[in-house]
Order: sequence, then structure tokens, then C-alpha cells
Amino acid sequence: MSSDAGSIPAASRISLGDREKLFRYKRGIPRFAPVFLFLILCLSFWGFSQNQSTVSVSAKDYPDYSRVIIASSSPLSTSIEKSESFLFVKIRANTPFRFRRESFQSRFVKSLEWSQGRGFYTLTIATQDDKFFFDSFKVSNPPQLIIDIHRNGKGEEIERTAETTDKVLTERSVEPQDAEARPERISSSSQDPECIVIDPGHGGLEAGAKGKFGTLEKDLTLAISMRLAEIIRRRRASNIVLTRDRDVDVTLEDRAAIANNNKATIFISVHVNSSYRKGAAGPETFFLSNDATDEEARRLAFLENNSENLDNSIESDNQDVIKMILWDMAQTAYLKQSSELAESIQTELNLLWGTTNRGIKQAPFKVLTGVACPAVLIEVAFLSNPQEERKLLTDEYQVKVAEAIYRGMTNFLRENSRL
Amino acid sequence: MDTKRLVIFGVLFFILIVLVALFLNLGNEVMPQPTPLLPSDQREASQEPREYVTITLFFTSEDDGLLHREEREIIPESSQDALAKRIVEELFKGSRRGYLSSIPPETQLRELFVTKDGVAYVDFSRAITDKHLSGSSAEISTIYSVVNSLSYNLKSVKKVFILIDGGERKTLGGHIDLSQAFLPQYDIVAN
Repeated sequence: MSSDAGSIPAASRISLGDREKLFRYKRGIPRFAPVFLFLILCLSFWGFSQNQSTVSVSAKDYPDYSRVIIASSSPLSTSIEKSESFLFVKIRANTPFRFRRESFQSRFVKSLEWSQGRGFYTLTIATQDDKFFFDSFKVSNPPQLIIDIHRNGKGEEIERTAETTDKVLTERSVEPQDAEARPERISSSSQDPECIVIDPGHGGLEAGAKGKFGTLEKDLTLAISMRLAEIIRRRRASNIVLTRDRDVDVTLEDRAAIANNNKATIFISVHVNSSYRKGAAGPETFFLSNDATDEEARRLAFLENNSENLDNSIESDNQDVIKMILWDMAQTAYLKQSSELAESIQTELNLLWGTTNRGIKQAPFKVLTGVACPAVLIEVAFLSNPQEERKLLTDEYQVKVAEAIYRGMTNFLRENSRL
Repeated sequence: MDTKRLVIFGVLFFILIVLVALFLNLGNEVMPQPTPLLPSDQREASQEPREYVTITLFFTSEDDGLLHREEREIIPESSQDALAKRIVEELFKGSRRGYLSSIPPETQLRELFVTKDGVAYVDFSRAITDKHLSGSSAEISTIYSVVNSLSYNLKSVKKVFILIDGGERKTLGGHIDLSQAFLPQYDIVAN
């Protein structure tokens, strides 16, 4: 058949015999058609039987929230609505699902019920009362929709949150021990474990911006960073390193060095903004601006050409010193990825604050220059704006901001799974 | 013989004319300065000392947070460094159109000079960091109102290096890197 097909262009040029051959070849197709059709049908039936999804749902209580996990063998298209003490999860479906209810250990979630509509299924999550807010996110491997239900408005709950953040304090850069508490690892990259470095801005004598009600930037950055660390610890199998976990001074160079020494996958510096403008409001995400002159570009080229050999060729004692010198401009190599990370996080923060006009921005931030991985600096809101200051002081907003950063970060990591 | 000479003279004359024309042409291209607001042409300044020159300053706007241009007439200065100093001092005075001043009012200009390779070294008193609001946006406003104002008015200024109390500092308030010279940034300027 392939030789016949090869003769097609030649046929247009020449002999009748060849044309007849071609003609015969064309007429031959209908004879094969039923066989092909049959094969295609078989394949599609086989594919269909493979495609029929199993959806399983489970619920579990954690110290400060309850989690419902909806897992499926194929990606889900869902929407969630809250109505009083109920959450309705609508799942669009073209093919029928098989359902399975797995573990169910929750005091706050009372029941999980399935119902079927035309072209969709609904999971009704009944809870104890309507005093909760929720957030959800998807993970892709295996496809899961995860819904976290946070109870709010109780002093008891705030205490619990404090307890869990204390735990992060003591578990600095250690693999979480409670393996059960985490969903399966999302990133499929294998060799180096993913390491996320969170940098709470300022600290110690350096208080950063001050709010009208006396709030200090250094305290807010630490609180939000701790919550972010806690969220990551619960949901991802990654190492988490905080550049500070207390109210201490850490130099800007050391913060970059901590990221590089831990082979950070990404670096997130958390700050709170301040402006001479009274009306300044909303989040901003920065990455390093590229003011590189020729001289710096040359140094960068040197860095790129030599960084791979460095680990092997230099004794470990000297390695740190030499790396510090090279790291001086290290961020220049990661600007594109940093801009993507900034974009991804800013998108989520815009959703949270309802801001639209702000894009990502570039500026020569000292803390970012030496970081040798995608790195961003997030100004979560304006401390110079009393309304935003008041919001940032609430647990609810600190959690929401941390959740938004987490989602932005996760989206970026999913797109860049080779990192 | 004579005709041959005539021809040679003719050719030489023609070449001469072409050269003169070329020279004049080149001169014409150089003559008009494309940026007339620059008072850097000192001959002009000394000839007509009573004429004002226009400088453009950059201030932050309350409305959009961007830097806005504000033009101001000043008496021409005798040298480039003096003009640079004058520009920074005009920034200290603040806006006349209600834009925000992002330099703490206690700040003083200690020294300012422009090196041959086009770096303006601006030395502020320490009030610029001590009294600063210390937020990323505030620092960006302060730094780029100085950097943009200097490099926009003075063609010779390519970069601006900010010193504090005669020395190098890491940042104003923990954010923007002062250890490298700044290039002007015009994407944070309103159109």
C-alpha cells in the first residue's frame, strides 16, 4: 500500500498503466471500510469502558478546618455554592459516574449526599451550622477537588490556629511527619524534593512599614508567612523553609543565601506595602527589574557557563564564598519564570481583593537580586491604608491571603512541573 | 596641455565643492539640539543670563500612584553639577500642582556630582532613610522621582547612584537596592 501511495505524484506525470494502478488503489478503499469501521467501533467501546469514571468522596476533620476530598479518575468540571449550612458541589458529567464514599470522620460535616440532574451530579455537603467559609482547589494527579471548610467566629478556633502555627515554628525545614494529613504529592518531579522558601519581610529592629493603628509590617509578614507555611505543609509534599520564624533581624543577603543553600524551587517574600498616597490600596506582586548593564550581563554569562561545574570542582569550604559572589546577580537568569510566578500569584490576589487594574511590577529589590530560582516579592495590601490595615489584622484575611498565595504558587508549579 | 589643466582644475574644484557641501550638511544635522529644554548649553546661558530655562520634575500623583511631570522655570545655572543640585532642591520644595512629595521634608542634599561616565552621585542626609515611610511603593516613588528628574533634564546623566551621609547604604527602608546605580524608569510615568 505504501508503494502505491508513493507512486501518486509520479502518476500525474505519466503512463496510463500507472494511472490505472492508482485508480484501482482508490477503488480498493471501500472494500476495507467495514473492517476499519468495526475496528474503530471496538476501540471506542473499549475506550468508553475505560473512561467511565469512579468518583470517591471523603471527609476529615483537622484542628482548624474540615476537608472534603472529591477524587476522580478523570478531570472534573465543578462549581461550588454555599447556601446556609449547605455546600452544593455541582459536577458536570457527559458519561455516567460510579460513586464511592470513602472514609467519613467529621463532626462538622454531617452528611454527604449524591443526587443526579440532567448532565450533572450534585454532591450536597451538610454541615452543623452556617458559620463557616470555605475555599477549594484542584490538584491534577490524580484529579481531586479539595474543599476546606473553615469554621469562623469562635475564640476557641483562633487558639487552635495559634497552636498549629506554633507547630511550624518548631518544624522548620523538616518534612511533615503527619503523612496522612496531606493529599498525595502533586508535583511529579522526582530527583530533588521540592523546596519552597518563604521570606517574611523585615524583623527585629527593622520593623518595616507602620500602620495607623500601630501595626508593624514585620508582624504581619510573619503571621501571613506562618499561615502560608502551614497550608503548604498540609497539602504538598515539599520542604518548607522560612527565612525567619521569630521576630529577629536577618540581612537581605542572608535571606537569599538561605534560599540558595536549600536549593529552593521557588522563593516568596511576603511584605505589606506603604505609600505616601492616602488612597493607595490593593495587592502588588513584584519581580526583579532587569537593569543589567553590559558588565552585569557579562557576569551573568559567566555565571551560566560555570554554575554547573561549580559543585564538583570547588572544595566545599570555599564553595559557599564563591557561590555568594556568583549569587550576587543570580536572579537575572530566572526573570522570565519569576514574572510568570508573579503573574500567577497576582491573579489570585486580585480575585481575593476584587482588584483588577493592577498588574505585576518590576523593581530592583535587594532581597531578590541574589536568589537563584524563580522569586517574587508580594505586597499583600497597604498598611498605610487604615481599612486594609484593619482587614489584615483579622485571622480570616490572613488565612485568605495565604490561601491566595498558595493557589497562585501551586498554579505556577503545575505549569512548570520540571522545576 | 591647457585643456588638460583646466580639466584637472575643474575636477579638483568639483571635489572641493562636494566636500564643502558635505561638511555643511553634517553641520546642519548636528546644529539643532533635539532637546531644547536642556540648559546644558552653557554658552547660551552666559550670553543671555536673564532668560529662564524649563526643567521637568517628577512627582507622585495621589490619583494613580504614577509619577507625573511638572515643568518649572528656573534661572540657568553656571554648571552641570549646579543645575543637577538645583533640580534636586526643586524636588525638595515639592509640587506646585498638588502632587505628593515623596522625600521626607527634613532631608538635605549634602553633595551631588556627575562623573565623566555619566553617573550622578547624589548624597542625601540620613533623614531620607530615618524619616522614610518604608514601604515598597513609597521607596519606589522617592527613588525614581530623583532618578527620573536628573536623567530627564541632564543628557549626560545615564545612571544615578544614591548615597546617604556620604556612604553606601543597602536600602532606604528594607526594599529597593541602593547598592547599584539606577537607570531611569519611564514606565511608571503617566503619559
